[in-house]
Amino acid sequence: MNDSAAPAPAITGGVPSARGPAAPARRDRRKLVSLIRLAAIVALVAIAFTTPGFTAMPAVLALLTTMSFIGCVAVAMTFVTIGGNIMSLCFGATAAASSLIFIGVLQEEIGLLPAIAASLAFGAAATGLQGFCIGYFRANPIIVSIAALALILGGAQLVTRGSSLYAATGGPQEVLKGRIAGVPIEFIIFVATVLIGHLLLGFTRFGRNLYMIGNSERAAEAAGVRVWRSIAGAYIVAGIFAAVPGIMLGSRYGLANMEYGIGYDYDAIAAVLVGGTAIHGGEGNVLRTFLGIVVIGVVQVIVLLHGFRQEWQYLITGLIVLGVIMLHTVGSDR
Amino acid sequence: MKGNRLADPDLRPYLIFLATFALLAVVDIEFGRFLTRGTAFSTAQLFATLAPVTLGLALTMMVREYDISVAGMFSLAGCVAVATGAENPVLGIVLAALVGAIGGFIQALIMIGLRLSSLGVTLGGLLTFAGIAYVMTENRALNYPNMKVALLMNEPLVSIFSIRSLIAIALFLVAALIMAYTRIGRDVIGMGSDRRAALIAGVKTDRVLIGVFTVSGTLAALAGSMLAYSLATASPSGLSDVLVPATAAAILGGVSLGGGTGKPLGIAFGVLVLCLLRSGLNAVGASPHVQDIATGTVLIIVAIADGPALARRTKEIRQWLRGSRAPAAS
Repeated sequence: MNDSAAPAPAITGGVPSARGPAAPARRDRRKLVSLIRLAAIVALVAIAFTTPGFTAMPAVLALLTTMSFIGCVAVAMTFVTIGGNIMSLCFGATAAASSLIFIGVLQEEIGLLPAIAASLAFGAAATGLQGFCIGYFRANPIIVSIAALALILGGAQLVTRGSSLYAATGGPQEVLKGRIAGVPIEFIIFVATVLIGHLLLGFTRFGRNLYMIGNSERAAEAAGVRVWRSIAGAYIVAGIFAAVPGIMLGSRYGLANMEYGIGYDYDAIAAVLVGGTAIHGGEGNVLRTFLGIVVIGVVQVIVLLHGFRQEWQYLITGLIVLGVIMLHTVGSDR
Repeated sequence: MKGNRLADPDLRPYLIFLATFALLAVVDIEFGRFLTRGTAFSTAQLFATLAPVTLGLALTMMVREYDISVAGMFSLAGCVAVATGAENPVLGIVLAALVGAIGGFIQALIMIGLRLSSLGVTLGGLLTFAGIAYVMTENRALNYPNMKVALLMNEPLVSIFSIRSLIAIALFLVAALIMAYTRIGRDVIGMGSDRRAALIAGVKTDRVLIGVFTVSGTLAALAGSMLAYSLATASPSGLSDVLVPATAAAILGGVSLGGGTGKPLGIAFGVLVLCLLRSGLNAVGASPHVQDIATGTVLIIVAIADGPALARRTKEIRQWLRGSRAPAAS
């Protein structure tokens, strides 16, 4: 903690100079921040490739798989954050519940596609309803997500009585466990999620409206955007993305329970912020979130390979998030 | 109409509390399992853990911020207290509270210095505090060897209370007095309603912010260390899920994330609702999911009732209903 507090006074001293007509100074500072970011990434790559064992396949494959689960949730979170709704605390639970639905439908033996469709539909519905409450009534997004978390946990308990659901071994879900050309299918699905998310945000009217709403809801409304529909839409998309890791977890382990996804929400918002998407909405994109996930994942693997125990991962991730958040605002003109 | 009354933050906690109490009493009317000393004692024990965290978190919400880091501080403080307080339990609690105060203080300095919102900073704080706890304990559960203290923490005092719950109640009394009778209370509410106006009116907003986050860290640390003592164990991961119930309790207690509302007494009743639900449903033999579903339902109703667009939307819906009925009549 003391390390992170040390630079604070120095930077505070710099803030007043930006208040006056000192736009050039601000530009310099932005350049500096971009330089620091670039240097950090170069340093990370250098450390990664000089770390013995980093380029070996097992490390990379393990990294790709774990990244993919949290990554999909982080893509979902990006839609919530950019639309100005900060974060959701129930995507981890949504992923877990969708794994229950996935395995539950698989047990009916009507095939893989219905199971996938059912869990995606569940994600869209559960999260879309929250989006409706948030967009239509302007209910507070964090409280709505906490309420939904309680309802999902309670509902899952009601159905499963706290036990796990198991898929028959050799069932159709095994297809999703393999690799294509050496790359885990989970990672391919994650990359597809990132691309779809990026296209939706960057190249559609829905995406443009969402950025506008995130910047200023009133301005968007004045410009004729049906705000609540865009927000509900963003949550429906986010719910579908959040359900994807449930399907992947269910097929990888052949069982489903509510233990999946615990802590995903914090990791996901950390990845969103490390990627440089602003927490107050209106800017950022999915590729940045992807970068954030990669940075966090690479750092964690480096820490492990250098012989530090797993607990150091948690601390270093926390310090990185804190550092990036501080760096990010020094570069912006808030 | 009911929505409006629920939306009145001063009345909400008492109404919900009465409704919860009445419902449980009616369900249990033939059995006499709910209105017992045992239920009251376990309610008070749950209150002792949740209430201090909620009070600190609610203070940050009153000034329109949100201290996500309480969850990390809660578990870190438990580990600090257990690691340092085996010989001298008071020293352990004091050290843990100090860690909490310093953690909150540093986060507030970062917010003020860089003009950052509390969400980002305290998210970093949450992950960092949890990380420190993991490193400190080497990712294991720490046992607290001093069983005497552990038993003392849970020993019934004055029929339904224990040291822990009496401390929690005392904290609330102090908070209620400060908020009602000193300038700090007015400054906090004023700052949450309109920070710029409060600044112009002479409120030292930076100091209030520092104070609120320091208190929030300290209270989370107190709750975490007392729980760790009473369980005679602390682990970096086991205690961390406190943010969600604390937020829920604060909201039920009349605090809004939009800032500017809330009173300590109301917050205490918000916490009581959650604790009563858990111990009461347990006593009448309902399975635990009922509590989750009940909490979630009430929270979503409160969230919608608090939504700034509710009045406009109900009008729209009414008009739309009238409009769709009109052509049918003609």
